[in-house]
Amino acid sequence: MRALIRILATLIGVAVAVAGVLTIIEVLWAWWRPASAPLWVPWPGWLDQASTTTWQDTGTRVTAALVALAGLVLVLLAASARRHHLALHDPAPDVTVTTSSRSLARVVGHRVRAETGVRSASVTATRGHVTVRAVPAPVDGDETLQPRLLAVVRDLVDDLPLREKPRVTVTVVSSRERREHQPEPSRSRPATPGLRPGS
Amino acid sequence: MSRSSHAAVARSATTERTATAVVGTLALLAGLLALVVGAGWLGSDRATRPVADPVAVDWLGGSGVLGRLLALLLGLVLLALGVRWAVRALRPEHHPEVEFDDADGELRVSARAVTEAVQDDARGIDGVSRARVTLVGTEQRPALRLLLALRRGTDVRAVWSALEHRVLGRARDALGLERLPAAVHLELDAAEGHRVR
Repeated sequence: MRALIRILATLIGVAVAVAGVLTIIEVLWAWWRPASAPLWVPWPGWLDQASTTTWQDTGTRVTAALVALAGLVLVLLAASARRHHLALHDPAPDVTVTTSSRSLARVVGHRVRAETGVRSASVTATRGHVTVRAVPAPVDGDETLQPRLLAVVRDLVDDLPLREKPRVTVTVVSSRERREHQPEPSRSRPATPGLRPGS
Repeated sequence: MSRSSHAAVARSATTERTATAVVGTLALLAGLLALVVGAGWLGSDRATRPVADPVAVDWLGGSGVLGRLLALLLGLVLLALGVRWAVRALRPEHHPEVEFDDADGELRVSARAVTEAVQDDARGIDGVSRARVTLVGTEQRPALRLLLALRRGTDVRAVWSALEHRVLGRARDALGLERLPAAVHLELDAAEGHRVR
């Protein structure tokens, strides 16, 4: 998002600057030689067209809606381009430590998969919430798996010096249930090792 | 929390975000206002008037010098703002050279020399598999940005103390700076041997 906003800001800047230059040139040209105006931009034609279309014409309304929509998209993009780091406690004055939500998901995922009775697990982590979906080993009819995993993940998250402690949710999906309901696996991000470690 | 070390976490995108938000808000408001006028909420009479209202066009055309000067001023403002935004967005991040006095007078140290030394120190910490260090900020107030990848099972607190005592302390001493704010980004449980895609 932050790379996109940089490109967008460049394009917007160039567009605004070009609009400014064209305005200056057209105004000066129309001032100097009113008879041969316009120079490049056919603004008298636009003016004629705008004096025949009214505000309630479909064309005007569609254009207005498109402009408003584009503006909304820009505002949302600008709002979403904030920093997405998870802050850790400062180990010393003048030192700020951060990590990524991906890192947190990786740590939790490795820990959960290392527990006995877990066949697979997917973890989604944000600043305020860690969600674990675990699939138990098929033979194991272990009722205590969910509370055990919850305690393990809570301990692990508490042990990390995160400034904001995320809430922890652990769901254990039984293999039978999984086969019947086919829960969507696409929404949860599997925290497999090697997921773009540098990002 | 120290402001200067917090600022070094990532390159600032404030100008870019402000420019995008301002243009977006203006477009949103203009579009909505035009829709409101078109829907007749400001009077059904207004909705049936042309977009280029003759009253406004005549006023602008009849205002002579004033209208033209206003248009020129608007063009200049747009030009200045647009150039400023584009230049700010395109300019690469500034990596300051650090200057300090030694016995012979002034000595300039390149950002690269500083970061390579710190990088080597950071790689020597137990549990650190990769380290990338950049010097950011200004000449007067430089700051370090460290990106460390930690192996699985590494104790974060042990890395902290090693960082503070061995790496950052040495960097401060070497540069003769009393304060050297640092922003450290940790990648936890990073896999080794995988290339960054």
